[in-house]
Amino acid sequence: MKVKKTLRVLRRSPYQALAATLAMSLTFFIASIFVVLIVGGQVVLNYIEQRPQVIAFFKDQTTESQINETITNVKATNLTKDVKYITKEEALAIYRERNKDEPLLLESVTADFLPSSIDVSVKRAQDINQISQMLKENQSVERVITPENLVEQLVKWTKTVRAGGILFVSTLLSISFLIIIMVVGMRIAIRRDEISIMSLVGATKWYIAKPFFLEGALYGFIGASVATFLIYVILLFYSPNIQNFLGPIQIFPISPQFFVYLWIGEVAIASAVGIAGSAIALYRYLRIK
Amino acid sequence: MIEFVQVSKKYPNGQIALDDINLKIEDGEFVFIVGHSGAGKSSLLRLITREITPSSGRILVNNEDILKMTSKKIPLLRRKIGTVFQDFKLLLNRTVFENVAVPLEVVSASEAQVTKEVAEALDKVGLGDKANSFPAQLSGGEVQRTAIARAIISKPQVLLADEPTADLDPETAHGVVKLLEKINDEDKTTVIMATHNETIVNHFKKRVVVLKKGKIERDEKEGKYEG
Repeated sequence: MKVKKTLRVLRRSPYQALAATLAMSLTFFIASIFVVLIVGGQVVLNYIEQRPQVIAFFKDQTTESQINETITNVKATNLTKDVKYITKEEALAIYRERNKDEPLLLESVTADFLPSSIDVSVKRAQDINQISQMLKENQSVERVITPENLVEQLVKWTKTVRAGGILFVSTLLSISFLIIIMVVGMRIAIRRDEISIMSLVGATKWYIAKPFFLEGALYGFIGASVATFLIYVILLFYSPNIQNFLGPIQIFPISPQFFVYLWIGEVAIASAVGIAGSAIALYRYLRIK
Repeated sequence: MIEFVQVSKKYPNGQIALDDINLKIEDGEFVFIVGHSGAGKSSLLRLITREITPSSGRILVNNEDILKMTSKKIPLLRRKIGTVFQDFKLLLNRTVFENVAVPLEVVSASEAQVTKEVAEALDKVGLGDKANSFPAQLSGGEVQRTAIARAIISKPQVLLADEPTADLDPETAHGVVKLLEKINDEDKTTVIMATHNETIVNHFKKRVVVLKKGKIERDEKEGKYEG
């Protein structure tokens, strides 16, 4: 009954309803983009973090005990997830596997040509520098390879996107909030006579206020649903291009569960914003005696 | 029973609407509250529904001090009181049926109950065939009858009528008060009607409370009024 009544009210002044819904849709569409960027950035970071992030090649004359000591020292930092020792023979096997289609490159290459090394994976990307520095200072180590700049940049980028997203979405959310206060306020003004009559014949405040709360919640629900649907369609459409760009970092197909959680989260936040906007409008404009 | 005990009402602009009023209205009575414009008639009625509150004094409805009621209980008080206004206060975008149904709508009555009771109320006021008309399609008397139907649909104990005949021609006005009298007789509803129409007051020979400058000047059974 109340929902029917709310829909009837929305039909009577569709442009105000459209303005409020569009504001909500835009806000949550932008919010969805930021969520996808942040989650995507995290996936890329996780991928990089799972790869060996520091590779240290040992000098030819390095003994097994020196290598083991280095491994022990690296592990003792407690910053590593995994430290893998690659012997000269294993390095040759890897080399052969990688170049199996190019026999010229395999000719005359023996295990002696290749250095033994350790592959280190760190727990947190920001600890790469420390591990890398520690290995560079080790006398047995010939060379250290790290993707430190890339990881640093990614961490910085993710943090910036997160901060920027929060700021931008908060601003949009405030605008939507104000639009809802305005739209619901206008509806209260339009229905002032009806509200006054209902109050005089014994309607409770809650009875009078309920359709306005429902209206605010409905703007949130529709706005967030439209936004989630749009981001789903866009990601579906552009997934081959994005995947090409990301290369080996597997992001697609995105689990439907992600979209369900995104939808539930956004609907909850948007409805809360809608209800809060209605509450302010009711407090401001509805003076029932 | 409605009782005013030393009730005064002073508006923020300094105007004194009621000044130390003591008045008791028994169940089932028909009372005319008469007086010139500004005598305090409307204020007296609005105090009963707690649309406004007095500056001092007590107002008892069924022995309950309505000024001590919490805001949650006010709707319950108003459901016991039907009100008819001089300006009708009908919703122009709703049909007669929908207007009359408002008091039932706010208590979430079932559709079957609404249909049955609206039909009964409209029959009582003689508008059974106007259910689907809009207020703009009705005559002045019919509009006021619609307002009366809305006021009585929830079978109130008290019916307040604030100048219900002010904008009506004498014949229609007479018909409207006759209808209020019928409601008073048949349903034993207490009727309190504010008016300054002396022809009506003198014709119906009911209790008359005359207000002058916020004070009760006279209170007579089968009283007369000379405006």
